[in-house]
Amino acid sequence: MNIATTLSTPHQAVYDPNSQEFSVAGVIRPRSVDEIAPSLSALRQAIEVARGVLYINVKRLVQMNNTAFHAFSRVILDACRSRSDIRFVVVTSSVVGWTERMFRHLSRIEPQVTVEVYDSKFYPGQSFVEDTSFIPILRTQTKMTWRHERAILPRHGMRPGIHMADICCGIGDFAVLVRKEFQPARIVALDHSRASLAYARNVAADFGIVDIEYSYGDASEMLLEDDQFDLVTCRHSLQIFNQPHVLLKELYRICKPGGRVYITNEKNSHCLGEPRSQSIQWTYNEVAKLFSHFEMDVELGPKSRRFLADAGFEDIRVESFMVTNLDGDPQDFADIITAWENVYAGEMAVKRGDPPEFIERFRQGFRDHIFAALHPKGYAGWPIWAASGRKPL
Amino acid sequence: MHAAAAEPAFEPLIRLEMEMETFLSDWQHCDYLSSFLARMISHNRTDPVRHANFFSSALNELLEVSFRGGSSGGRIGCTVYRQGELERVKLSFPCPPGQHDFYREAVSKTRKGDAYARYLDAVSTALAPTREIVLLDLAINFEAEISLEEEASSSITLVVDLPLGGIVS
Repeated sequence: MNIATTLSTPHQAVYDPNSQEFSVAGVIRPRSVDEIAPSLSALRQAIEVARGVLYINVKRLVQMNNTAFHAFSRVILDACRSRSDIRFVVVTSSVVGWTERMFRHLSRIEPQVTVEVYDSKFYPGQSFVEDTSFIPILRTQTKMTWRHERAILPRHGMRPGIHMADICCGIGDFAVLVRKEFQPARIVALDHSRASLAYARNVAADFGIVDIEYSYGDASEMLLEDDQFDLVTCRHSLQIFNQPHVLLKELYRICKPGGRVYITNEKNSHCLGEPRSQSIQWTYNEVAKLFSHFEMDVELGPKSRRFLADAGFEDIRVESFMVTNLDGDPQDFADIITAWENVYAGEMAVKRGDPPEFIERFRQGFRDHIFAALHPKGYAGWPIWAASGRKPL
Repeated sequence: MHAAAAEPAFEPLIRLEMEMETFLSDWQHCDYLSSFLARMISHNRTDPVRHANFFSSALNELLEVSFRGGSSGGRIGCTVYRQGELERVKLSFPCPPGQHDFYREAVSKTRKGDAYARYLDAVSTALAPTREIVLLDLAINFEAEISLEEEASSSITLVVDLPLGGIVS
């Protein structure tokens, strides 16, 4: 059974019997309870058929007035009183702070209700990419990719005066570079790492930048309104998100009709180097498998066209570029590879439970890549796919 | 010698006025106005998107109070001020003189020791939130300090201090 209700007001209430989860999303500000009667009825039906634990998912609840809060609470509390066999777990978001503040009262009234804040389990690779020790290398990566992207971006909708959003902005350095080079009228930069955002805000403050709007948020469930931005950028993130189509749907939603969504992604198995190419190739093939184990697809780059088409974009443009040891100081390239070795071999492979002999061979490929990068006649590359699509008018 | 430092002034950020009759013509005005004002005043907060979401939530409740309790003659006015991490909303709207006692009572209850117990009791038992409960909600969930200004018998001004800068961060 699937109970789905879409009302004239912009909110949705949906019950998924497989996970026993009743989700309420959007803006719910009725004048009277009657206006949300179908949703309340859906919740009652969900309670009737649920056994054990019923999850009430309010992660995507953007606004709810007291009229609606009391009405939904009434149904839950009445059920607690009539059904001692059922428990409720209300799942709120760390992004929408007031939901946790309001719903936590229900657990004070009825012990059958608990409130959980959805946060750290955002996506499986989150802990690896949010490691603050990674920050210096993220800066180096952006510095090296920027040499290419500053020329590429105008072909994908970047121009002065636009309203843009950089989703999964990380430490915010891309937003700063874009602001300086292209002077957009507005930049919103969103990320789910408080540490990265704190770093971004400090850097902005140091440079006297006050017009980048850094925001804490879940890229798959953003508070940003529909149809707002001329250009939405999302770099190196679809590939580390376990549901890239969900993320892309959100990027599409906040993009203006006629605006573009720009994404960059890698195909790690195509990292290359000479000399010692075979060892390098073996390791990067293993990198792809390792990420796959953690539900991330670092081979996504060439799939960008398909993902954009499936998400409903038109006028899709795809190009690729190779960051190499010849872009500026070869040591920068080597430093990036060292950081990858530390995280991929030192943390992720260990977490997967790989034996020491595998990890040693795995490490050797990174070391050979560094060798190639620093060799006076060597060549080392890191390929990246840049793609964008236009949201239909 | 007068040693006490002067209290930092509240800086006015935005003011909105409209005919109460127009405001009362559509319930959606509460949603539209709270969303618009929230976006306008939040752009230079540390986290503008989340600040706007929080602020809109609180302001919408206040506007709904004025929608449910206001009368149609005269104008509704809403001014937002800022002092550090604090936002002050002054919401003036026409209401019958007989309602003043109700607001005095409701505002005073937000500061009493049993405010949380009263709020829980309302969530637990009331079929729908009263305006009094909405003010309690603001005091409890948004840490608002609420007071009243009564300059004319035909209108009332709710003064609501919201420490959202600290809460959102």
